[in-house]
Amino acid sequence: MTTVQDQGLVSAPAATGTARRLGALGGLAYRYGLLAVLLGLLVVFSLARSRFHTWDNTLIILQSVSIVAVVALGVTVSMTVGGFDLSVGANVGFVVMVTAQVMVRYNLTGATAILAGLAAGLLVAAVNTLLIVVARVPDLVASLGTMFAFQGLALIITSGQSVSVGMDLGGGRVAPGRYDPDFLWFGTAKVLSIPVAVLVMIVIAAVVIVFLTYSRWGRALYAIGGNPVAARLAGIPVNRYRALAYVISGLCAACAGILLSARLGRGDVGAGDVYLLQAVAATLIGFAVLGANRPNPFGTLVGAVFLGVLINGLTMLNVPYYTQTFVQGALLVAALLLSYAVAPRSRRAS
Amino acid sequence: MTADVDAPALAVERLSKRYGPVEVLRGVSFDVARGEVVGLVGANGAGKSTLIKILSGAVAASAGQVRIAGAVTNPATVRQAARAGVQTVHQEIGAGVIPGATVAENLTLDSLAPGGALWRSRRRTRAAAREIAAAAGLGADLEAVLDRPIEELPTSERQQVVIARALSARPRLLVLDEPTATLSTRESERVLASVGRMAAAGVAVLYVSHRLAEIERICERVVVLRDGVVQRDVPAPFVARALAEAMLGGTLSTLRHEIRGGGSPVLEARGVRARPDGAPFDLVVRAGEVVGITGLVGSGQTELLEQLYGARRLLGGTLSLRGRPYAPQSPADAVRAGVGLVAESRAEQIVPTWSVRRHVTLPRVRAHSRFGLMDPRLERATARRTLGDFGVVGPGADAELGDLSGGNQQKVLVGRWFDGHSTLVLLDEPFRGVDVGARADIAAHLRERAHDIGLVVASSDPAEILQVADRVVVMADGGVSGELRADQMTTEELSRLLTTPARHSRTTDARENRRAFGLETT
Repeated sequence: MTTVQDQGLVSAPAATGTARRLGALGGLAYRYGLLAVLLGLLVVFSLARSRFHTWDNTLIILQSVSIVAVVALGVTVSMTVGGFDLSVGANVGFVVMVTAQVMVRYNLTGATAILAGLAAGLLVAAVNTLLIVVARVPDLVASLGTMFAFQGLALIITSGQSVSVGMDLGGGRVAPGRYDPDFLWFGTAKVLSIPVAVLVMIVIAAVVIVFLTYSRWGRALYAIGGNPVAARLAGIPVNRYRALAYVISGLCAACAGILLSARLGRGDVGAGDVYLLQAVAATLIGFAVLGANRPNPFGTLVGAVFLGVLINGLTMLNVPYYTQTFVQGALLVAALLLSYAVAPRSRRAS
Repeated sequence: MTADVDAPALAVERLSKRYGPVEVLRGVSFDVARGEVVGLVGANGAGKSTLIKILSGAVAASAGQVRIAGAVTNPATVRQAARAGVQTVHQEIGAGVIPGATVAENLTLDSLAPGGALWRSRRRTRAAAREIAAAAGLGADLEAVLDRPIEELPTSERQQVVIARALSARPRLLVLDEPTATLSTRESERVLASVGRMAAAGVAVLYVSHRLAEIERICERVVVLRDGVVQRDVPAPFVARALAEAMLGGTLSTLRHEIRGGGSPVLEARGVRARPDGAPFDLVVRAGEVVGITGLVGSGQTELLEQLYGARRLLGGTLSLRGRPYAPQSPADAVRAGVGLVAESRAEQIVPTWSVRRHVTLPRVRAHSRFGLMDPRLERATARRTLGDFGVVGPGADAELGDLSGGNQQKVLVGRWFDGHSTLVLLDEPFRGVDVGARADIAAHLRERAHDIGLVVASSDPAEILQVADRVVVMADGGVSGELRADQMTTEELSRLLTTPARHSRTTDARENRRAFGLETT
């Protein structure tokens, strides 16, 4: 029934723009298109290079995407409430610097470094929350500001230098500490032949999937992302949940920063910068997985793996590294087309 | 275009409009002569907005025609309507101004549209703006503020700018859609005065308002619309009460239910105000009774319910729920205390793509989860029970709510509060956009389920109120003008109350209240 009152009722991304009804083929493409392409890529790469479909290479791919995936899971949570955390890359970089500084400059233990790293991530989340939830600055611009501020802060706490063992502190003094082997374990060790970073990624992914998909808090977060007014009128404390989303996003970025710091074994200036775009791409590619058409942690994981497979396979095929960014961009655009243009007008939520 | 000097500026002839199966206008005919101010009144859903949209070219009529100065003009676009000489000033002032632009730029916006000059100069803009303002009779007022951003002006002056701009197109017909709805009485005066000046200059004015007192003052004739039909077309002088009667319909249907007195008080509101300028009043809702709140649009019903729900800051007074102080700071507080609201706008309560089940359990996620995880079986059971209780047949608990008919959507949004956890449910225009059958269903289910909780139903349509209420509170100007038992509600009595200024209807003074709530000792 179409009455005057019913107009302007639907505002989901699925229902706007070029959304239109397609045949069964369109529906299939929409649900399984991305997974089919991923499968196709795996087959092509395996046929072209026998080294590709080995257990070792699988672990290499997973290890290469573990940090991106953890960051992306955080971005996914921030997007479920209709927000967008642009500060995750800067957060990763800031945490790398803080952990390196704690161990190298102040000669403290790995456990202290981890705590300091998590605290640093929470600090970024706190600034985001203050700006977005309390001061009502729009999400994108607020987290953009946070991004700049913490990129700068990471430089300030290390006087603009990278932090490495035995670095010169000026005045003839040398940094007293070094990376704690227990800390480095996160970046280099393997358990049952699986890299620790991959295990951490799997645990965080499992927790985020259960939290977002099955818990009552996840239900509230999705309600806010779908229609914040409806969520508020149903008695959901919207601001508290939006703050929670940014805290989770900040903690995920902090975990990623700890993993990266442990892998690098030093605090590199700008180490986290590449993770923002990669994480956002993984999250957006995830929209198109199984026709979810909304931020979803399983899709995000698939998106991150997809990016890893692509880079790994292309590298094996000796495709020049400078074309990789373009290929990733094309993949993202294709996934966005699936989510926005091919999406059937009306979709069922689980 | 052939313009006939003797023909009326506007002639609406047998105009009809249907949206799907719903016929919003059914053969509406009336005229507006040059220099005449004609009032257009009608309750919600009478068809006023549709008529205005057709006149302004925003929607096309299904049948009938519109003549402007004698020439048949069925405007298909807003530009066509403007070319034919129709200018419309819409209710929301935001729709007519560009924030950030100066007053002068806003006044001369039409020369920015296709066909205007390529380059603009500040000096020429200002000169043109001055001319426009002077033509509208407000040159002196606006001279000082021409270069200020429009948003710095008070609402009434912004409204004047919009009207002046509409007049600058030298329209034959000016349609004013509730131009004073958001203005204070003093601000309204200025708008009313300018309407008089326009008419004197020969412009035909169609003046749409819910404020009958304004209609009485400035209109030479009034057209009353009800259910898409012209009920009355009468010249001045008219009586506000008679207009209200015509809007409401000849006779209200007879009551079909037993009046219940209600048990112990569920909600006691003392000295509350619906609007800052409204008179304070008391409201008591008892367990097992349905309290209807009615009033002309804009009398403050929505504002009152939103305050009771914590969605809006309480303007004054104190609330208690089942004898305990109740001061909700947010809807979350209200829901926790056992209060539910079915809001006026259905779209504001629907999460796109979500199933019936998810909508039903959204206010009660905690009760439907175990160890923090949602229990879909429990959820489905609750959703099925809600669907069953409110007679929604067909779609199941996992159907997408947005795919249901308007009536069924409303049944779900109403029904979710009747799960045994509510002590008070507030319903704002629950029958809007709902077909007659679903309306009767919802009303019957509401009465059936109200036996031990309090219900408040607000509607600007008294017929809807009569269908559910035991007691009717009539609001006017943000206050309460009277109260009736539903079986004593007659059209005459109601019309009198709707047009009576609200009086201070407090039964106790503030000190007594404070003492009653233990906030002040004697």
